[in-house]
Amino acid sequence: MRFSLPRIQHNHTSFDALARLHAQTKEYLFRSVDIDMKATSWFDADMCAAFGAILYSLGENLNMVNLLHIPQSVERILSKNGFLSHYGRVKIPDHWGTTITYQRFDVKDDRYFARYIEDELIHRSEIPKMSRGLVKKFRESIFEIFSNAILHSRTDLGIFSCGQFFPNRNRLDFTVADLGVGIRQNIKNHIGLKLSPEDAIIWATKEFNTTKRGKVPGGLGLKILCEFIDLNGGSIQIVSDAGYWQRKNKKTVTKPLSHPFPGTVVSVEIDTSDRHVYSLASELNADDIF
Amino acid sequence: MSEDIEISIFEVVGDPLCVASNDGQKVYDRLAAAFKADRSIVLSFRYVTTLTSAFLNAAIGQLYEAFSEEQIRSRLKVEDIEQEDLALLKRVVDNAKLYFEDPQRFEQVIRETVEDENDDP
Repeated sequence: MRFSLPRIQHNHTSFDALARLHAQTKEYLFRSVDIDMKATSWFDADMCAAFGAILYSLGENLNMVNLLHIPQSVERILSKNGFLSHYGRVKIPDHWGTTITYQRFDVKDDRYFARYIEDELIHRSEIPKMSRGLVKKFRESIFEIFSNAILHSRTDLGIFSCGQFFPNRNRLDFTVADLGVGIRQNIKNHIGLKLSPEDAIIWATKEFNTTKRGKVPGGLGLKILCEFIDLNGGSIQIVSDAGYWQRKNKKTVTKPLSHPFPGTVVSVEIDTSDRHVYSLASELNADDIF
Repeated sequence: MSEDIEISIFEVVGDPLCVASNDGQKVYDRLAAAFKADRSIVLSFRYVTTLTSAFLNAAIGQLYEAFSEEQIRSRLKVEDIEQEDLALLKRVVDNAKLYFEDPQRFEQVIRETVEDENDDP
């Protein structure tokens, strides 16, 4: 079976293309699946997390994935970030150091993920000097995304991440994808609310809303992430089930996807030149917290 | 009077990156054991570089399920914590109070949010 993959960028169209690829192949078992990338003239490298998740689910059904006719420029970037090593290619050195390695993690790998973030994002000389406050907030945000994936995805298939740094534009993109139950289904299972996929994402980004029940509270992670992105001037996209949600310039846009994505993707873009002081208007007193 | 028990998060977790809910649970287990023994605790954040709400919800947020606000306020002190982390802790605490003090109100907030969204043009 052969499928054609278009340009892959951070946008609704590309997420829709990846969801369509999943819809067309999800029932396959023991097949050889050829993905023709002749038309993939651009590939935003961090989108490897979402693409890799879909290809991994194909592999789980013992299908063989062949990536064909990859344009040279795309092959170069996907070889540098290690993505194509999962599909028989050789990893090539990243002399400019702008890639953030594609990696799959198990849900119990939180320490390993933390080290990966430190090594790939925080302690690399190629990454531009970001303010101390920005590094702290960014690191927190990445871990909030990963924690959300661990706590809510209920997946055994793992969590996929990848990133890319654009020095000329002062932008850093980072994406985390999981193959879990998705936000809409989680809300239905735990709260009993039947929402559209887009409304489910809106619900999950509101403060105090959480599908967690029991002794450990929840409901802050995505809210905190959105607040940071609003201040930083970056953007965030969330795809879950057949819903697409984007927040940029403090405005939210939602759209349906033509087919469900088999899990949840959270993709952030931050402005690395941000000199915002992430401190509080008034100091808190440690004796008056509880 | 019993001496305060000092608990170092860095020592319990074994890492400056305190991000995982299951690591927060380890801190909670020690805090809860000390509370049950009617002991006061000084919780040190020294050497902790990164926190998440997931970690703090497990470590401290869930105290409000088992213990009263008065007990927590009188027996738990934090030290060596950065202002940004204190702000996150404050949000986690306020969220936990709402979550546990009045679960019905919490459910109502959740449902109202959905209704508000659905009422939007």
